[in-house]
Amino acid sequence: MITRLTSLSQNIVQFCRFLRQKGFTVTVEEEATALQALQFIDYSNNKIFFLALQATFCRSKTQLDEFKNLFNEYWKELNKAVDAKLKNEQTKKPPQIAKPQLKSLSAWLHGNRNKETEETASYSLNENISQKDFSAVPEDEVEELMQIVKSIAKRLAAKTNRRYEYSHKIDLPDLRKTLRKNLRRGGELLDIIHRRPKRNRVKLVLLCDVSRSMELYSAFFIQFMYAFQQVFKRMETFVFSTSLKRITSLLKQKNFDEAMNLLSMENSGWSGGTRIGEALNVFVNEYGKKMLDSKTIVIILSDGWDTGHIDLIKSSMESIHTRSKKLIWLNPLAGFEDYKPHVSGMKAAMPFIDVFAPVHNAESLKKLGKWL
Amino acid sequence: MPKDNTINLSDIKRMLHEQGYITDNSVAMSVFLSLKLNKPLLVEGPAGVGKTEIAKVMANAMQTDLIRLQCYEGLDATHALYEWNYQRQLLHLKMVEHNDQPVEEKEKTIFSDSFLMKRPLLQAITHHKKPVLLIDEIDRSDEEFESFLLEVLSDWQITVPEIGTIKATHIPQVILTGNRTRELSEALRRRCLYLYIDYPDFEKEWMIVKNKVPGIDAKLAEQITGFMQQLRILKLEKTPGVAETLDWAMALSALHIDHLDKSIIEQTLGVVLKDWRDTRQVQISLSELMEKTGVRSKVG
Repeated sequence: MITRLTSLSQNIVQFCRFLRQKGFTVTVEEEATALQALQFIDYSNNKIFFLALQATFCRSKTQLDEFKNLFNEYWKELNKAVDAKLKNEQTKKPPQIAKPQLKSLSAWLHGNRNKETEETASYSLNENISQKDFSAVPEDEVEELMQIVKSIAKRLAAKTNRRYEYSHKIDLPDLRKTLRKNLRRGGELLDIIHRRPKRNRVKLVLLCDVSRSMELYSAFFIQFMYAFQQVFKRMETFVFSTSLKRITSLLKQKNFDEAMNLLSMENSGWSGGTRIGEALNVFVNEYGKKMLDSKTIVIILSDGWDTGHIDLIKSSMESIHTRSKKLIWLNPLAGFEDYKPHVSGMKAAMPFIDVFAPVHNAESLKKLGKWL
Repeated sequence: MPKDNTINLSDIKRMLHEQGYITDNSVAMSVFLSLKLNKPLLVEGPAGVGKTEIAKVMANAMQTDLIRLQCYEGLDATHALYEWNYQRQLLHLKMVEHNDQPVEEKEKTIFSDSFLMKRPLLQAITHHKKPVLLIDEIDRSDEEFESFLLEVLSDWQITVPEIGTIKATHIPQVILTGNRTRELSEALRRRCLYLYIDYPDFEKEWMIVKNKVPGIDAKLAEQITGFMQQLRILKLEKTPGVAETLDWAMALSALHIDHLDKSIIEQTLGVVLKDWRDTRQVQISLSELMEKTGVRSKVG
């Protein structure tokens, strides 16, 4: 323990205060650790001094990245203060840059939707490959969304099977198998076999329409897809407009911002035209055999506006429907009171849909949980 | 090696170097302080940058044993601490069934040390000399296990109901690794020193290759390293680590190849990339990659 009060130890204490101001959690214990560490090193060497403090104060990658600047800032300030025999107050930086919210989404959430829905009713013929900037998608709502998705996930996977399966953990003993296994040892019960109720493992496939007519909801849908992918391990996510793209791995990023960056880097034809039939057909042909089975629930997110072949929608919807456990179509437009599935694409798809529900924001997603 | 209390920073650097671990000062400093302050060291970083290797090198340098606890989802206390050897107990009872030992005696025998199967944590605290305890991929374990671990890491004692409390004979040198599959709790972080190891830069990786693959052609080592550096810039599903670089270098060196060209890369890409989408992506952009690396193509 360092007990003498040198100017150095005082400085360390002050530096800790400075770090706390910058959002580090530095406990008294850590201060002590840092001071302790100093007695083992040659702290007159600036570089070694820096490394020692870095090793004792940083607790995560983000902190590591910040630390160097903070360190330099503080000791530069200090040197200046000593030189000038003047202490100028640490200027605080403005805390956080206010996150720009996606206008359309907030407008929607506040109920100003009339004008914009008219805009959604137009759709484009050409694929408009534009790089979308997703940096504006608010992250704070994702947490909430993930909570809702979790409860939906539970509901989807809730029913346990009547059969039992082998369990590694100590669970219910399986008498029959235990006896059988130990017969060869003269019936002495040496190994006990356990079992547990078999769980139903649901797989999910999410197909999301990202054409221009859906642009208004894109922020919400990105959160939606991200939340689902984070919660569900056994899940595949695709986006489609005029073509189909698999984005499962992009959404698996731990960090929401990172996922957004990757998504905006991909030229996945965001906000182009829609050919639902073609996209679904590609899905059925390329991935259908591998991904669709009687345990898979397919969720399609689309408004049904389509510029492609109607027959193709019919045939691919039919084959998805017959091959999967359930086919859920979530339509953002269905939230309006006077909505009827007039759009020809929607009409063609209707007979093959098990659950048809409106989803356009977190609130409606909560309701969806109840419907299932 | 010098005794624990006289060891200094340059000793650590030297030892790391002697063990063939090429590194920078921040790693040496963290290892040094963790030894000195007797604190666990939490190492994070992408796969294949030598996180686990640090523990091995440390054990080697301290001339002690490495005890490893590999974490996985569903790992529970019984797997990490101890288990009674139930089968052996039963057989033992069967054997002494007909002798006249009193019941208490029999019970005492079957709950004794020889029927106790020590799992890594118990092993580590009862080891005859200070071991290095590597808790690998801690972020894969459940949160319950993490909080259980916290308790062990601070008290250094384990209670077995039938025997009593076992106190640590030596406090092990603990290294935890993780690659951020799950955010670790603040409490655990606070108890450790933190070290982040990133992919090495060109110079460092080149040194590593030359060091670990002694017979390698200098030009080839340079090309391999350059190519790997370029690969990591690409957005791949599974970015190759240093381990892959070394595998590749060893493979090529065993084939007595002294420079890279397109066909060699294509043929041996499987050593480096473990995902077919990555392989395809790299194959498509191979010429461009090679140009950036400065590998001359034989074609043309």
